[in-house]
Amino acid sequence: MSDEEHHFESSDAGASKTYPQQAGNIRKGGHIVIKGRPCKVVEVSTSKTGKHGHAKCHFVAIDIFTAKKLEDIVPSSHNCDVPHVNRIDYQLIDISENGFVSLLTDSGGTKDDLKLPTDDNLSALMKSGFEEGKDVVVSVMSSMGEEQICAVKEVGGGK
Amino acid sequence: MFNGIAGGGAEDLPQLQSTMRAIELACSYIQINTNPAAAEATILSLHQSPQPYKACRFILENSQVASARFQAAAAIKEAAIREWSFLSTEDKGGLISFCLGYVIQHANSSDAYVFSKVSSVAAQLMKRGWLEFTPAEKEVFFYQINQAILGSRGLDVQFIGIHFLESLVSEFSPSTSSAMSLPREFHENCRKSLEQNYLKTFYSWAQDAALSVTNKIVESNSDVPEVKVCNAALRLMHQILNWEFRYSKGGTKGSINVFSDGMRSDTASSRKTECVIVQPGASWCDVLLSSSHVGWLINLYSSLRQKFAFEGYWLDCPVAVSARKLIVQLCSLAGEVFPSNNAQMREQHLLLLLSGVLPWIDPPDVISKEIEEGRSGSEMIDGCRALLSIATVTTAVDFDRLLRSIRPFGTLTLLSLLMGEVVKVLLANSNDKETWSYEARDILLDTWTTLLASMDGSGGNAWLPPEGMHAAASLFSLIAESELKLASASATTDEDDADCLASVSAMDERLGSYALIARAAVDATVPFLTKLFSDRVARLHQGRGTVDPTETLEEVYSLLLIIGHVLADEGEGETALVPDALQTHFVDVVEAGNHPVVLLSSSIVKFAEQCLDANMRSSIFSPRLMEAVIWFLARWSFTYLMLVEDCNLGSNQLQSLPSRACLFTFFNEHNQGKFVLDIIVRISLTSLMSYPGEKDLQELTCHQLLHALVRRRNICFHLLSLDSWRNLANAFANDKSLFLLNGVSQRSLAQTLVLSAYGMRSSDASNQYVKDLMAHMTSSLVDLANNSDLKNLAQQPDIIMLVSCVLERLRGAASATEPRTQRAIYEMGLSVMNPVLRLLEVYKHESAVIYLLLKFVVDWVDGQISYLEAHETAGVVNFCMSLLQIYSSHNIGKISLSLSSTLLNEAKTEKYKDLRALLQLLSHLCSKDMVDFSSDSIETQSTNISQVVFFGLHIITPLITLELLKYPKLCFDYFSLISHMLEVYPETLAQLNSDAFNHVLTTVDFGLHQQDVDIVTMCLRALKALASYHYKETKAGNTGLGSHASGQTDPNGVFHEGILSRFLRKLLQFLLFEDYSTDLVSTAADALFPLILCEPNLYQGLGNELIEKQGW
Repeated sequence: MSDEEHHFESSDAGASKTYPQQAGNIRKGGHIVIKGRPCKVVEVSTSKTGKHGHAKCHFVAIDIFTAKKLEDIVPSSHNCDVPHVNRIDYQLIDISENGFVSLLTDSGGTKDDLKLPTDDNLSALMKSGFEEGKDVVVSVMSSMGEEQICAVKEVGGGK
Repeated sequence: MFNGIAGGGAEDLPQLQSTMRAIELACSYIQINTNPAAAEATILSLHQSPQPYKACRFILENSQVASARFQAAAAIKEAAIREWSFLSTEDKGGLISFCLGYVIQHANSSDAYVFSKVSSVAAQLMKRGWLEFTPAEKEVFFYQINQAILGSRGLDVQFIGIHFLESLVSEFSPSTSSAMSLPREFHENCRKSLEQNYLKTFYSWAQDAALSVTNKIVESNSDVPEVKVCNAALRLMHQILNWEFRYSKGGTKGSINVFSDGMRSDTASSRKTECVIVQPGASWCDVLLSSSHVGWLINLYSSLRQKFAFEGYWLDCPVAVSARKLIVQLCSLAGEVFPSNNAQMREQHLLLLLSGVLPWIDPPDVISKEIEEGRSGSEMIDGCRALLSIATVTTAVDFDRLLRSIRPFGTLTLLSLLMGEVVKVLLANSNDKETWSYEARDILLDTWTTLLASMDGSGGNAWLPPEGMHAAASLFSLIAESELKLASASATTDEDDADCLASVSAMDERLGSYALIARAAVDATVPFLTKLFSDRVARLHQGRGTVDPTETLEEVYSLLLIIGHVLADEGEGETALVPDALQTHFVDVVEAGNHPVVLLSSSIVKFAEQCLDANMRSSIFSPRLMEAVIWFLARWSFTYLMLVEDCNLGSNQLQSLPSRACLFTFFNEHNQGKFVLDIIVRISLTSLMSYPGEKDLQELTCHQLLHALVRRRNICFHLLSLDSWRNLANAFANDKSLFLLNGVSQRSLAQTLVLSAYGMRSSDASNQYVKDLMAHMTSSLVDLANNSDLKNLAQQPDIIMLVSCVLERLRGAASATEPRTQRAIYEMGLSVMNPVLRLLEVYKHESAVIYLLLKFVVDWVDGQISYLEAHETAGVVNFCMSLLQIYSSHNIGKISLSLSSTLLNEAKTEKYKDLRALLQLLSHLCSKDMVDFSSDSIETQSTNISQVVFFGLHIITPLITLELLKYPKLCFDYFSLISHMLEVYPETLAQLNSDAFNHVLTTVDFGLHQQDVDIVTMCLRALKALASYHYKETKAGNTGLGSHASGQTDPNGVFHEGILSRFLRKLLQFLLFEDYSTDLVSTAADALFPLILCEPNLYQGLGNELIEKQGW
């Protein structure tokens, strides 16, 4: 068996926020850290440094939290930092007056430190869904110490 | 607005004048851009008013405003074409003679565009009435024209007459005719009539007109007005010869095929320069050949040449350009126009032309010098075109012979000198992209291609004459040297360089032509290339570590591309034969070691082998050079490595040549073949392992080289016995560094390795080989899925990457399914079924992984489904349905949010790709009913595929929003699946519950309103199938679609019309009132018929309704 090749034991999940990965292997749609920010790659192009030089990758990426566009050029055999992006689903249990949401965690506790998304439509949708008594599931994306609600889904229920 | 004009009669002069003023005003408003909409409306109302002819004639004759006259002419045309069938014969003739008379009368005034317009109106009206006018009626018009062209009424009228014929010919030629809302037969009949009865007459009129002014032009030393007439006549002749002659074959064609598009079969495909062969047929012999027409034209041009120094003439003055064009065109004269018993006539004709053209291009060095000093290059380029035209209608040998009667050397030598000169100039001005030399080079290269391409495929029996070979050899060495100079000059420019494949394909055409030239003289060029190559390699070694090798590297790079083209053809998936020239030449070689091709190939392989050494790699083998090496090895090995005698053989008669035998056996399995194969595999492994991050190189290695090797069965046997191949397989299965390849290469490599299992001696061994190869991948997926901390673990980037790699490899292996390895691959998929579902769950937010998962399943099912036994099928089907359900439960009703619109769009695209994959999965499942290799007898209780697919559709259709159907590929996939299902399994549809049933039909309705003809066609086919099914079933006493068809009353008491009635209504609406492509008519009729049969009463009702509405 492959014990020595692939270690699946999570040594200490979350301890390292980023992982090294060869630049040539980071694809469109993957994640990358540029200027200390976790980003999603929207464009990769390769070129050579001089005709007979080595390949380098040109990344255009978008900050997953702020939506800012960032770019980077890295020799494709070098390593880049790839952020650990975690997404967890929670059931919405309350929306407070001051715009904070209350979410039910797996372990039965609550998570109360997130605000409604800034997008008006979506927060309205969450509110109306919640008020109609539907089961609303929100996905929370977290990476490099930041968190944000990234998707909403109504599972039904309610009338 | 202008309605009153027609009925008013001659007396309303004031009204005519007011109309004229209104139009004039509108025209001037448009010009100064004041209230253009109103002005346009005024003009439009003139165009659209009934019978505006009197007003228009009044304007044409009296208005001082040119644009008003122009509009009046346009209005005449539009109204007359529209009202043609209501006009009396006199009116028709009257309009035409008015237009003709008008241009002739006003011939000497200015405003040329008005005259062109009026004369084109006359031409169009004449064509409109062409088939109804009697010959006598036409004669009247043409008499008038002929008189004008004869010149008795002055030069201006002569010019107008010729100009009118030009309009007329272009109106009758299908590619330039204007639309008349008439059937194609009409245009085709007009064209036939003109070609058979008038075209030649027009040509001789143009000849006469040109002749009548020639003396004046030749004798005078300055610009004379006759030049204008001469130019027009030359243009008309050129235009007439451009006609696509079709009825020249003795008029044997009985009927007109209006749907054949008249493509000429002789136009060579890959040419850059257009060269149309002129084949007017036997009847033209007297006009073109026996009347010393060509001699006159050559003399005319040579006397024009002497006048270029004078005022009013220059190299590019219109008349000179037209004369040259006509000369070039006459060079490509061919076919029955030359009497078959008189071969000399043809040669005479070409010789005459060539001698006329010669001063334009000969001597090449003098001429190119003059051009570089500022003379226009157009004459020289026309000279090159003339050579191309001659090459198009002759063989290389005849071509070469032409010049011999007037020069001490053949035409090929001239061509070689000329092109050599052009290449030199090109090299000197390589920075400037828009020079004459580029154009000349392309034309001359086409000339060579034209001459040599026919020889290349002739089985190697046609050789150039020795002098021609010499010419080709010296030209090729010039070309090769200049390519190398260009390469070394470009080595340091850091332009945005594309990868090897792109640069090869960009240069491919050019290199292909160079290769033809090289192959025309292989005795000289192959040793020459060997020398060039060894020179460069020696230079690399000498300077190693001390001199910057970049320039030499770039030279070696180009050289590899050139040699690759000379030695081998692009196989394009087919077996590429050893080029004939390389097989048949070198007759005196008896020992393989001395064969020039063997020498050249070996020297390159030996050079490539050095990349295995790490020091050499770092100093010489740059990624770009490796790309060329890999490309070369791929191309070369496909043609030379381990040939199977009878399939890489050209023609059998050559078999006996000893030189050929040694070329063929040298790289076969008993000789050096295995040794070279081993080197190639080791080089491949090096390029995969030692060039981290060089994506292009790795893709080239996987796709072009390795993949091509395993496609050849006999090579697979040898591959499996090689240690190097075992090393590659081992590295693939166990070595982490191959995980660093990018996804596409991973997939391709897996596919390649699985395909190589064919080389095992038995099916069991093959299966075992695949199992060993993939065991590691499957077990790592299983381990991961069983890990208790999967949820957290899975999100780690390194795990995501590992999973992606493994999935790509599984997908590659799945797509390599062949009967021999099907079992192993089935088991591979079976063992990861549960992990796949598990991963689908944990990666629901990681769309990239999801897509890979889906694609793996799609390819696996595609490869396996037709082989599976009933119980296996059931398992696979259940697995697919769980997959669909899990996917759907994650995505339905999900709304992603992001501040970035780019990311949102990306998310949408990802969704689209997922859904497309799911639809493909369903289509693959469908194919089980079509192709089934399983051993089950038909009676075995098997899974009802149609129900499964409908169930699958039911799961995923809610995800397919109308928004997503805007992706054309998704839309296409969806509707092809739907139409297939309805056509093949209408009965299953009938059994669906009404929600599902309605959903399917709502999308069909949606599809009917798409723009894409294919989509609508598929929907119509679906409808046809549905209605036919219902009709047949009900006729047989069954229920058919039952309540779906009969309509039902809902709980609120509202009656819902049956589905067929609804579609009958919709389809009729569509056919009668909407715009649609004529391509749809037949399919729509096919759908309409069964609908009518099902609902005859409704159809009758609708018909009556329609008639009542129309009855006003």
